Amino acid sequence: MPELQIRQAIRDAIKEEMERDDRVFILGEEVGHYNGAYKCTEGLLDQFGEKRVVDTPIVETGFSGVGIGAAMCGLRPIVEFMTFNFSAVAFDQILNNAAKIHHMTNGQFSCPIVFRGPNAAAHMLGSTHSQAFDAFYAHIPGLKVISVATAYDAKGLLKSAIRDPNPVIFFESEVMYAQRGEVPDEEYLIPIGEADIKRSGADVTLITWGQSVPTSLEAAKLAAEKDLDVEVIDLRTLRPLDEAAIIESVKKTNRAVVAYHGWPYGGVGAEIVDRIQRVAFDWLDAPVLRECYEDLNMPYAENLENIIIPSAERILSALEKVSYR
Amino acid sequence: MATIVELPRLSDTMEEGVVAAWRIAVGDKVKRGQVIAEIETDKATMEFESFDAGVVLKLVADTGAVLPIGAPIAVFGKEGEDPSEALAAHGGGASGGDKPAAPRDERAPAEVAKAESAEAAPAPAKAAPEKAAPAKAAPAKAAPQSSADERIPASPIARRLARESGLSLSQIQGSGPHGRVVKADVEAAAAGGSGQLAGGSFSSETDVFGRPYISREDQIAAPTLMRRTIAKRMVQSQQQIPHFYLTIEVEMNAAAKLRSELNASVDGTKVSFNDLVIAAAAAALRKHPECNVSWSEEGAVMHGDIDIGMAVAVEGGLVVPVIRNAEQKSLVALSRETRNLGKRAKDKKLDPKEMTGSSFSVSNLGMFGIDEFAAMVNPGEGAILAVGAVADGPAVREGELVIRKLMRATLSCDHRVIDGAMGAKFLATFKALLEQPMRLFAAG
Repeated sequence: MPELQIRQAIRDAIKEEMERDDRVFILGEEVGHYNGAYKCTEGLLDQFGEKRVVDTPIVETGFSGVGIGAAMCGLRPIVEFMTFNFSAVAFDQILNNAAKIHHMTNGQFSCPIVFRGPNAAAHMLGSTHSQAFDAFYAHIPGLKVISVATAYDAKGLLKSAIRDPNPVIFFESEVMYAQRGEVPDEEYLIPIGEADIKRSGADVTLITWGQSVPTSLEAAKLAAEKDLDVEVIDLRTLRPLDEAAIIESVKKTNRAVVAYHGWPYGGVGAEIVDRIQRVAFDWLDAPVLRECYEDLNMPYAENLENIIIPSAERILSALEKVSYR
Repeated sequence: MATIVELPRLSDTMEEGVVAAWRIAVGDKVKRGQVIAEIETDKATMEFESFDAGVVLKLVADTGAVLPIGAPIAVFGKEGEDPSEALAAHGGGASGGDKPAAPRDERAPAEVAKAESAEAAPAPAKAAPEKAAPAKAAPAKAAPQSSADERIPASPIARRLARESGLSLSQIQGSGPHGRVVKADVEAAAAGGSGQLAGGSFSSETDVFGRPYISREDQIAAPTLMRRTIAKRMVQSQQQIPHFYLTIEVEMNAAAKLRSELNASVDGTKVSFNDLVIAAAAAALRKHPECNVSWSEEGAVMHGDIDIGMAVAVEGGLVVPVIRNAEQKSLVALSRETRNLGKRAKDKKLDPKEMTGSSFSVSNLGMFGIDEFAAMVNPGEGAILAVGAVADGPAVREGELVIRKLMRATLSCDHRVIDGAMGAKFLATFKALLEQPMRLFAAG
C-alpha cells in the first residue's frame, strides 16, 4: 500500500470527489495559485480550473457565507480555513446559517458543506492561533464534527464528509500534515460516527482524537513498559459520538482517561466523562480523568506551551492514577 | 426489636400477592439481598430478595394465601427473640390466613397499632401503644447500618461486585485512595471465600468504617545455602569477635575530580568511588600491615597478601568476591576487575575460589544513600571498612564554613588483633590517600 502524508490524503480525497461529482468545489485563502497554505490542494487549480478552485480574499465571514449559499443552491462546497482560529470570524455563518438552515426551512433547504482546516495548537503560534475549536462546534446541533489523526482516516472520512447532506466541520492538524500512513489505492469510505481502536488493551481505556492520538499511543507504549495494557480509542468523529465503542471498552477495563487538545471547562472531554459515568457507572473502578490543556490562554513561550499541551508523560501519570498504580 | 418483612410491591400494577414458596425456614440466618421467597404477582412469580438481615423468627404468611401489599409475611430478629411483640406493633399479626388484612395506610405505625390493639385481647391492649414506639425505631435501627455501608468508600464496580457476590463492603479493606474499596479488593475477597481473604484473614481491629484490618500469616522461606552461610558466619562474627568501630570523614572533592578526569581521558575506563576506596584501603594496608591481620588460636596471622573482599548485594543475600594483591593493581585494572566480579556475582557465576581467602573487606552502601554504617567483621579477617555515600555537606576549612563532597567510612575491627590506635592510623592514611588521590599513583 502506498504511504501518503496526511496532506496528500486530504488532497486525494478532494480530487477524487471533484472528479466524481462536478458539484464539488473548494474555496478559501490560498487554495488555488499557492496550492494551499499547507499544500492540501496541490495541483487542484491546474486540474479543475478557477471556477472550482476559488482563491478568496481574507474575509472568512464572506466566503463561508458564499459556501453556505452555494450549498443551499445545490452545490457541494468545501471551505478551507487557513486555520480554524480564523473560523471565529465566520462563527455566525456556521452557527446561525449552516447549522440551522435545514431546521428553519423545515427541510426545504439543506446545507451540504464541509468546513475544513488545521485546528488546535501547533508550535509557538501564540494564544490567538493555538486554539482547539472542538468543543465550540461539537456543541452545536445540526453540525457533524470530525477530527482525524491518520492519512487513512483523513481520506476516508473527508470523502464521507463531502458526500454527507449536512454541514460538516473537519479538523486537521498543522503539525501532523507531514505524517505518513498507508492509504489503499482503491476507493474507500469511512462512515462518520465510528471510533477506531488504535491499540487494543485490557487495563485502561484511553479515549482520544486528533493531535492527541500519537501522544496517547506513545503514552500507551510507556505504560506497556510498566505492565499496564492500555486500549487507545481514536474517536475520529466528535459529533455524532460513538458512545457504544467507548462504553464497550470501559465495561471491559473499568477505567478511563480522556486525552485531547482543548480546554477542560465544558470541553468534549467533559461530555465523554458524562457519558461514561452515566451509562457505565456500575463498571467504573476509578474516577475518569482528563488530560487536556490547562485552563489558560496558550502562551507563546515554548517551555510554557510544553507544560500546557498534554504530553505522553502526563497522560501516563493519569493512566497510572486510574489504575491505582 | 424484631423486623417485620412485608409483602413487597414487585410490579407497578401489583396490588396483592401470594407467597408461592418460602426459601427460608425459621431459625435461618438471612443476609440482605438473599432470596427469601417466591412471590406470585399479577404478572409473574418473582424472587424476593430480602431488604433486611437477621434470624428468621417466624414465617407469618402461609404459602398460597392472597395478601395485600404491605402485609407482614415474616419476622426477622435476634436469635430467641419473641416475634409477637413486633407483629402486634405492626398491626398485622393475625394475618396469614385467607382473610385479607387491612390495606396498609398512611397512618403512623403507632396509630395502626392502636387501632389494631383495640381489637386484640384486653391485656396487651394497654401496653401496645408504648411498645409501638420501638416498632417505629426498628427500621430506623436498620437504616444506620445500611447507610454505614453506603458511606464506605468504594468504586461503583466494587459496590456492584460485592452486591453480586453477597459480600458486605464492611468486610473488605479498601486498597484505593482514602481506603476506597476497588474492584481488585472485592475480587480478592471473593476468591478468599466468606470471611477469608486471599493471603489473609480478618483482624479483630477495625478501621474508621468498621472494616476489619487484614491479618496475614507468617510465611517461612526455606533458607538457601547462601542464607545459611550468612547466618552461620554472622553469628560466629557477633559471638566470637569483639568488635569496636572507628568512623572518619573524608573530603572527596579531589577524588571526584580525579575520577572524572580519569574516566574522560582513559578510554573504556569507568572508575567508581568504590574503586578509589578499595585502592586507597589496599594502599593503606600496605603501609599498615598490622591491620592486614586475623586471629587464630596459634596467634595473630599477619597476611602476606592484601586480598580485599568486596561485598556485593545479590538476589537473596550477598557475596564477597576477592580482589587479590589489590595494592599492586593499577586503578584501571582494579576498576575492570571490580566491575567484572560485581557483574558475575549478580549473575551468580562466581567460582567459590573467587569468594574465599580475603584478608580485609570493604562494604559500600553509598549507592543507597546511606551516610554511614558499621559492618560486621568477616571471620578470617581482622577488619571491614563500611563506606557511605559521597554527598555535598558542610565542612569547616580555615575557620570558614564551606560545602565539600564528604564521605564517611567506618572501620569495624577485631579487638583481639587490632587496637584502637592501629585502626586509627590506618584510617588516617586511608583519608589522606583519598584527599590527595595522586598519592595512589606514587610508588611505595
